[in-house]
Amino acid sequence: MDPLLLGGVVGIVTILVLFSGMSVAVGLLVVSGGFLIIFDGMRSLTLMPEILFAKLDDFALLAIPMFIIMGASIASTRAGADLYEALERWLTRVPGGLVISNLGACALFSAMSGSSPATCAAIGKMGIPEMRKRGYPDGVAAGSIAAGGTLGILIPPSVTMIVYGVATETSIGRLFLAGVLPGMLLVALFMAWSVWTTWRSGNAAVLSPTFYSWRERFEIMPRVLPFLLIIVGVLYAMYGGIATPSETAAVGALLCLLVAMIIYRMWSPAALWVVLRDSTRESVMILFIIAAAGVFSYMLSSLFITQSIAEWIGTLDVNRWVLMGAVNVFLLIAGFFLPPVAVILMAAPILLPIITAAGFDPIWFAVILTINMEIGLISPPVGLNLYVINGIAPDIPLKTILKGSLPYVGCMVLAIIVLSVFPGIATWLPDLVMGAAL
Amino acid sequence: MTGTRMNDNKALTGSDPFLRVTAAISTLCGWIAAGMVVAAVFITCQMIFVRFVLNHSTIWQTEAVVYLVIAATLIGLPYVQRLKGHVNVDLIPIALQFGPRKVLYVVVLSASALVMGMLAFYGYDFWQVAYQRGWKSDTVWGVRLWIPYLAIPVGFGLMTLQIVADIWAVLKGHERPFGLVRDPLNASGTGEL
Amino acid sequence: ETLRLSHQWSTQDVRHKVAQMIADEVKAADIGLDIRIFPSSSLFKAREQYTPLSRGQLDMTVLPLSYAGGQRAAYNLTLMPGLVKNHDHAARLNESPFMDDIKAIMAEDDVMVLVDGYLAGGFSGTEGCITAPKDVEGKQMRAAGKAFEQMLAGAGASIASMASSEIYNAMQTGVLDAANTSSSSFVSYRIYEQVACYTPPGEYALWFMYQPLLMNKSTFEGLSEEQQDTLLEASKKAEAFYLEEAKKEDADSREVFAQNGVEIAEMTQEDFDAWRELARETSYAAFVEDLPEGQELLDKALAVE
Ligand code: NA
Ligand code: NA
Repeated sequence: MDPLLLGGVVGIVTILVLFSGMSVAVGLLVVSGGFLIIFDGMRSLTLMPEILFAKLDDFALLAIPMFIIMGASIASTRAGADLYEALERWLTRVPGGLVISNLGACALFSAMSGSSPATCAAIGKMGIPEMRKRGYPDGVAAGSIAAGGTLGILIPPSVTMIVYGVATETSIGRLFLAGVLPGMLLVALFMAWSVWTTWRSGNAAVLSPTFYSWRERFEIMPRVLPFLLIIVGVLYAMYGGIATPSETAAVGALLCLLVAMIIYRMWSPAALWVVLRDSTRESVMILFIIAAAGVFSYMLSSLFITQSIAEWIGTLDVNRWVLMGAVNVFLLIAGFFLPPVAVILMAAPILLPIITAAGFDPIWFAVILTINMEIGLISPPVGLNLYVINGIAPDIPLKTILKGSLPYVGCMVLAIIVLSVFPGIATWLPDLVMGAAL
Repeated sequence: MTGTRMNDNKALTGSDPFLRVTAAISTLCGWIAAGMVVAAVFITCQMIFVRFVLNHSTIWQTEAVVYLVIAATLIGLPYVQRLKGHVNVDLIPIALQFGPRKVLYVVVLSASALVMGMLAFYGYDFWQVAYQRGWKSDTVWGVRLWIPYLAIPVGFGLMTLQIVADIWAVLKGHERPFGLVRDPLNASGTGEL
Repeated sequence: ETLRLSHQWSTQDVRHKVAQMIADEVKAADIGLDIRIFPSSSLFKAREQYTPLSRGQLDMTVLPLSYAGGQRAAYNLTLMPGLVKNHDHAARLNESPFMDDIKAIMAEDDVMVLVDGYLAGGFSGTEGCITAPKDVEGKQMRAAGKAFEQMLAGAGASIASMASSEIYNAMQTGVLDAANTSSSSFVSYRIYEQVACYTPPGEYALWFMYQPLLMNKSTFEGLSEEQQDTLLEASKKAEAFYLEEAKKEDADSREVFAQNGVEIAEMTQEDFDAWRELARETSYAAFVEDLPEGQELLDKALAVE
């Protein structure tokens, strides 16, 4: 069979299997196994356990459970609330201070967690009820946290950046730095929208500043200090010559666990187990998808589908920006349905050669890809952050959460356009810190 | 709609002995997996200390940590399956009536069990070759590979068992197929998107 | 019939060109044989290739044989410090009884060699030159291959293991003081931007890695006589090309580093002997401890003039 046609068949079968309710990782293995048996014979089947094991045999992947532990241990304490309260006391002079401090807290928390749901849960638990109490529209309360939470995978550390780095052999340290300024750009856009839409909804009163005394402002600082120390410590270890990013993750995980235990007195084995259970569950889920996506890409490569698609796109004589637009649409659609790691692992081997051949920077592309994945996190049907919000505020109807999130999706699309016009927003910082790219 | 639920969502076992034993095994797997990840955290920190503070060689740490995380992933599979933590997209099940949905559930999970069982089978084969031929890793530490490879048949084997238990639980009426309420599209405010 | 050839290198790499040469020759001969190359680990990861090759699940590969040293301890001799002095010596080694023994072991795994070839490498340091064992004492080093790690540890260096792609960042942040890898990796990862001194492989060099083009033996024997002859003929041409390119890569690396203002150091006969003495106590001893019958093989290799 012609590899391109076969690719189409594989695509349709994969969609059907994944929509059937089978878990994503197992579904990918079922599809891979099926096509390998039919087109490659039984010999490939005996290889599956080895390939699966080998896909996980990579030191860089170790950072994934570590960065997840970082987020989970902090999220299990009242640290998120402290962080958020401190920001509020300092930012209330700004119109819309509460929503702005929520988004700021999401951004800061993102710097301590590699995953989006953890960020969303940590800030949302406190932030959503508080915003609603003060009269912010439900859509803004839920949407801003859902969107702010997605920063977890753009602002370093980031699980998806690690996966991208492993899949494309790109420097993870460089990728992390590339996410910083685009993350801030997104925060600014989210803030602007939140304030504007609250004002327009006739709730202008909630935007008026409340006052905290300087005493109250400084009083709360010691409670925020541990986080600032962890962030600074992790950054120092990562870029100061002590350890590679993957190794640093372990230091961050240990520090966060210690802060949770010592400062937040999380001594009971039951409380510790909740942290370990949640992080084990998320890590195993993600790593299993990585392994299964590895087998899936082996199948695509073995049947010459990957190569044929890349060749075919190469022969299309289109403008590079039309190509980039098409790639974005593809990533968006894939992101609606699949978790970020699965999309990256399946798409990166096919897309990256095409992207670099068209003259795009792989580090810049990582940021574009991540923002696309962020959109997927707050869009149905697989929007992990939506579930988190739904769990925190079960009385906000899903429709309202979705409608509230939609403008933030608009902000992300706008950010992609801005980044396309000014790619330096992504590449300037890594070049500054680590020298020009190889 | 779908997804991993963030709350504790473990399968109900009732008083069914098969379900209870399987649940106990899977939970034990979860403890082991979590323990392995924590061990990996400590070993990595120890490695940085040895290299950066003591300026000594680090011989075994990198490899040990990688194998621990792989083993944690594989051994953790049945536990995460029990917690319904493997993310899925249940668009088709939601669109179906209760009866057909139950049939689809049994078909989907049987296919899952088949593939997991196959991986356990070929994984055992692979493990046996590594054991009999005394394969080692190609490093100074030279760890005997049958040790990390053991996680393949064990992890997938117990994952198969947990999936079979999940099918059994639905057939016996202890649980609803895909954990969905009867009419999910009109459900609200329950965490069931 | 289509044969699948997998390797880990980019399409610019000499090892890909060797594979491509054979694929082109076979195609031009029009004998119903086609070689499909999967470069850049697009099918199997680097260290994942030997097992499928030996089981006939993969037909051909270009592989550093020492990657399979965990399965066949004897292969560790193909990346052993001081065993090969220069490329011409390597070529003589390929024709020696030592290699016949190694190939006999491969045959037990149903693997055969189509193209022999060694690639060389050197040392470079962020502060000083590395020519003799005393130069590495107290340094944080990355070495390519476990025998080199053992030898350098014996010389008092601290070993940090990492992929060659990580050397640049590790040197930049100060995690590493010095590294040992192949000439081509030194150039392609632009290590010259980070180091003060480079010791390229020259008259005397320590680091030679055997990286042959391998084929599954049963698959080869299943081909028609005409197809077999064409493959062997093409392989012979490719082997000559491989040797020339290997020498050229060393010369190129020397030139690139010099152009970038890096000091170039040379290893002398004395240095080489000092390293070999150290290797005897460390890597060779560890090898023989791991594989008692390996002493005979080691002696055969050392006997090649
Ligand atoms: Na983050
Ligand atoms: Na989605």
